Amino acid sequence: MARVISIEHVSKQYRLGVINNGRLYKDIQSLWAKWRGKDDPWTKIGEQSKNFRRDRFWALRDVSLSIEKGERLGLIGRNGAGKSTLLKILSRITAPTEGLVKIKGTITSLLEIGTGFHPELTGRENVFLNGTILGMKKRDIEKKFDEIVDFSEIEEFIDTPVKRYSSGMYVRLAFAVAAHLDSDILVADEVIAVGDVKFQQKCLGKMEDVSKNEGRTVLFVSHNLGAIEQLCNTCALLEHGQLVVKEDKVKDAIERYNQLLSS
Amino acid sequence: MNEHATDAPTDGDWTTIICPKERLFELNIREIIRYRDLLLLLVRRDFVSVYKQTVLGPLWFIIQPLITTFMYMFVFGNIARMSTDNIPQPLFYFSGTMLWSFFSTNLTKSADTFIANAGLFGKIYFPRFIIPISYIITNSFTLVIQATVFSAFYLYYTVSGHAVSVTTAILFVPVFLCQLAALSVGCGIIVSSLTTKYRDLKNLLNFGMQLWMYATPIVYPLSMVPDKWRWAFVLNPVSPIIESFRFAVVGRGHIDGWQMIVSFGATLVILFFGIILFNHNERTFIDII
Repeated sequence: MARVISIEHVSKQYRLGVINNGRLYKDIQSLWAKWRGKDDPWTKIGEQSKNFRRDRFWALRDVSLSIEKGERLGLIGRNGAGKSTLLKILSRITAPTEGLVKIKGTITSLLEIGTGFHPELTGRENVFLNGTILGMKKRDIEKKFDEIVDFSEIEEFIDTPVKRYSSGMYVRLAFAVAAHLDSDILVADEVIAVGDVKFQQKCLGKMEDVSKNEGRTVLFVSHNLGAIEQLCNTCALLEHGQLVVKEDKVKDAIERYNQLLSS
Repeated sequence: MNEHATDAPTDGDWTTIICPKERLFELNIREIIRYRDLLLLLVRRDFVSVYKQTVLGPLWFIIQPLITTFMYMFVFGNIARMSTDNIPQPLFYFSGTMLWSFFSTNLTKSADTFIANAGLFGKIYFPRFIIPISYIITNSFTLVIQATVFSAFYLYYTVSGHAVSVTTAILFVPVFLCQLAALSVGCGIIVSSLTTKYRDLKNLLNFGMQLWMYATPIVYPLSMVPDKWRWAFVLNPVSPIIESFRFAVVGRGHIDGWQMIVSFGATLVILFFGIILFNHNERTFIDII
């Protein structure tokens, strides 16, 4: 099997607290010092060099993972373990501080459904807008349009501005678009269960269908361990920004996670 | 591909490589073209949402410059009695306000690229440069609509025997407009990149645009400016574009070759720096916004 994603020693650092020194002239002094290779005059006493600064926080630290074609990887971990940060790096929303990520094929990320929906536009217009934002071609959306509307169960309202939609209709339409993407790799962050119980089942079913039957690579973050077990065939556990384990048996990883939680 | 192929020689197989450092100057045209459908839909969205649920609909695109023109005619033409270089007042003020609003809307909108689209940028990747490009295209449509009104005025004055005539320089009008667009977006993306960290500039922007308008020959012709202040107008790259445009379509005023070259050079430099700053920002701004 060919590898489609290779994550190599990826780290991501965030700054804590207020981003800059608060004043432009202080920032300029800091920059000026940096250019000349001198110490930052605004470094607090005790913070010797850049690497020991206390206002830095590593959301991810040296994570390496490789994902094969057709793999359905579940990412689990506690809040703040770095799952979403990893997805953000993979979807090119933010750049890693260190390390490399290599991707083969097209990738779409669903960190949220209905991204880019505009309230004044009709459902139909938003399907196209949202679909293209997610990287689809207009042609392809046209081809799948009926399917999308069918899935969302809101045929009657498709030409009404989405600002008049109920929240349920809104998420159903948004999910329907997301479910009909046709990229090689799909990255999803806890979005699969929307709407009422019946529609949630439909969403899960669709996700299963998409990943299992169409042989796509899926990266899936969720706190819903049941859904992970249902959808995924491998599972990785993150803790404090580091990879704890990656298991081919989803059950083993979940067990390890439960141990972590109870310890 | 085998298990040990982590090293550089096999990099050719990967479609995307994400690394911490960006290249200093990078404008991925191919990627922008790949997202052209998105570009067109964004243009449509911005264009259509202006007049959705309004009574007058697309008429709103011409009401504003028309009223502005009347106001300028009243204040600057009739009360202050300022010269218009013998160009009929409606033509003079309309052409000025039309070009200025194209410039300033492009600038202020693209200056807001990161902040206004933070929600979108935080959730999905697409070439960020699509957004300022979509603003230029949207505003170009508005400009085209306004230009038809301008032509109507123009026709009226030609028929009623006023000595206005186009010059061969009209062939350069598309160049002037492209330059104006490039300049506005260049300035806009510089501001947008700076405002992600320091919001101060955002407060300055609206106010600054108003001042800039008065520093540009919009409501007065350059010929009214005393000679000793002329040099100051060379520093404003917008002035020669406006003057040249007026000369091209109405045949009054003049095109100063040197000023145009300086303005053109300034445009290129500003756009270049804008793209560098934009590149630098687009990859990490989401962490600091």
